[in-house]
Amino acid sequence: MNRRALINRAGQALIVALAVLGALPVVLVIVDIYARGVPAIVRIGVVEFLTGLPPTPLDEAGGIGPALVGTLVMAAMGAAMGIAVGFPLGVYLGAYRHERLAAVSQSFTNVLVEYPTIAVGLFVYAAMSLALPAVNPVLRATLGIEVSQFSGLAGALALAIVMVPYVAIFTASAYASVGRELREAAHAITGDEAKALFVVLRKAAWRAILASFLIGTAKIMGETAPLLFTALGNDYYYASPHEYVTGPVGAVPLLIYYMAQTNYEVQNEVAYGAAAVLITLVLAVFVLARLTSREGL
Amino acid sequence: MPEISGPLLVFGVAAYVLSLLVLVRLRLRWGLRLLGLGMAALVGAMMGLFLAEALPALYRYGPSLFLRAEWDPPREAYGLLNALVGTALTASLALLMAMPLAVSFAAAVNEYAHRRFKAVLSNLMDLSAAMPTVVFGLWGLFTLQQFARWANNLLASLPPPVGWLFTPTDTGLGIFTASVLLAIMVTPYAAAVIREGYALIPREIVEAIYAMGATRFEAILIKLRYVRSYIVGGMFLALGRALGETVAVAMVVGGNLSRLPTSLSDTGITVSSLIALQFPNAHAYQYMVPTLYAGALLLASVSVVLNLIAVRYLFRR
Repeated sequence: MNRRALINRAGQALIVALAVLGALPVVLVIVDIYARGVPAIVRIGVVEFLTGLPPTPLDEAGGIGPALVGTLVMAAMGAAMGIAVGFPLGVYLGAYRHERLAAVSQSFTNVLVEYPTIAVGLFVYAAMSLALPAVNPVLRATLGIEVSQFSGLAGALALAIVMVPYVAIFTASAYASVGRELREAAHAITGDEAKALFVVLRKAAWRAILASFLIGTAKIMGETAPLLFTALGNDYYYASPHEYVTGPVGAVPLLIYYMAQTNYEVQNEVAYGAAAVLITLVLAVFVLARLTSREGL
Repeated sequence: MPEISGPLLVFGVAAYVLSLLVLVRLRLRWGLRLLGLGMAALVGAMMGLFLAEALPALYRYGPSLFLRAEWDPPREAYGLLNALVGTALTASLALLMAMPLAVSFAAAVNEYAHRRFKAVLSNLMDLSAAMPTVVFGLWGLFTLQQFARWANNLLASLPPPVGWLFTPTDTGLGIFTASVLLAIMVTPYAAAVIREGYALIPREIVEAIYAMGATRFEAILIKLRYVRSYIVGGMFLALGRALGETVAVAMVVGGNLSRLPTSLSDTGITVSSLIALQFPNAHAYQYMVPTLYAGALLLASVSVVLNLIAVRYLFRR
């Protein structure tokens, strides 16, 4: 074999080997989490694990109940806020992308996508500590409630800031890919900008946008850093539902973060079980998103 | 300052939301423009708030805040240098490991994978980008740690120049482990960008390459040179992720707050993990909170600058 043929063989083999090495770790992680997490859940009992309180070092077993409720509440609120802002923003960035202002806004949105999530959490913490002294007297007088510095609301706000640019960028690219004829037709038959954008054109781009909502939700369900100084964490259930908004709440990623770093085996075990639950949630939403975007294409 | 700025903030946000709602009903396009401006305002507000909160530390320590490695809360003596060094080391080592993997993955998927299998592999990488980072941290702490210790001690036993960079360790926590974990986490981001660029190579170019008599491997190299703007763009995106990543790094980096790491095997700290680890008890001291805000300001500024560079590279033609 001559030299070129030899280099050709070796080079291709190297590329394939490196590619496998690049894709392998995520498989290893998923396998490892299930291999250790599922036995932990089975030992404790599925219902007990999903509803029980986190174990203290002295307990034999425990669960992730309050954290699971907190994650679902905050992810739902954060996703709702993120979609409410991110979707119209994406429509603007996509439909009016030739405007100078839209281009500027697009670059700030790109900045936010890559923004360190710990900084988002710190920002919401600082903003809450500024705003609450002004807001709380009003809330106390009208609703009889107060939002504390660490609260589900703060956590949801931080998650929303993480989600907005993600939804906006995918929505923008979906709107930008709609053909010129369709855009002209939409404006022609409706004669109304709002109807053209949010009714007719939305239908043309809907699947991709829906997928971005779902993947965005999956992403914020697993976020830890934005919640450290906003939701804070909480090992107990609340008596009344509104306290999940106004008081400190737990979250599954926070629970994993704290329980993984202790020296107590039962807490490490619960961390693995919680991770198995978390990646199952993320996987489920991810698969749903893929099915949504593929159907009918 | 806080007495006025609180109500001002609330009033500003309320006025913004109200005018947004009114404008969207009246003149949709102007409402959307106002929403677009909101993104700029949000980034501006973040930077402004970090700067305002960091001022006491910036006044007190001056440039030495970023040029000294010190963390002594009882004496109120802080320096962020070791965190900056930790961030720079972990991020650059991670990129060094991640980029060959990402480039190879992008090339291999486009060159060799069948249509069905290609979709599976692409989905796997996208899933890996959506995976919670704390899960990577957990895996790093309980599984990767052992492998990293073995790899580290192997590297330490190599002859110099490599051997100088590493020292034998018995914990497996530190800069090196954090870098390996980061490399695993950022590979999918870079791979996604490069894969997209690779798939867009025009057919005529490919035909021309083979018409010149190139072997398969030579063709891949030429194609990679053709998509180099995507490779650079993907690298910057991965770098942004690596700089900002918090919890996974905090779990494996060892949390060495007070001195510079002596080798790549040593324990260290990064800016983001310093914030995560120290902010909860920072309010017990006078200048720790402003110092951590200064770290956040620096981290955010670097991320903004990198992003602008990345976008410029990606859209340059």
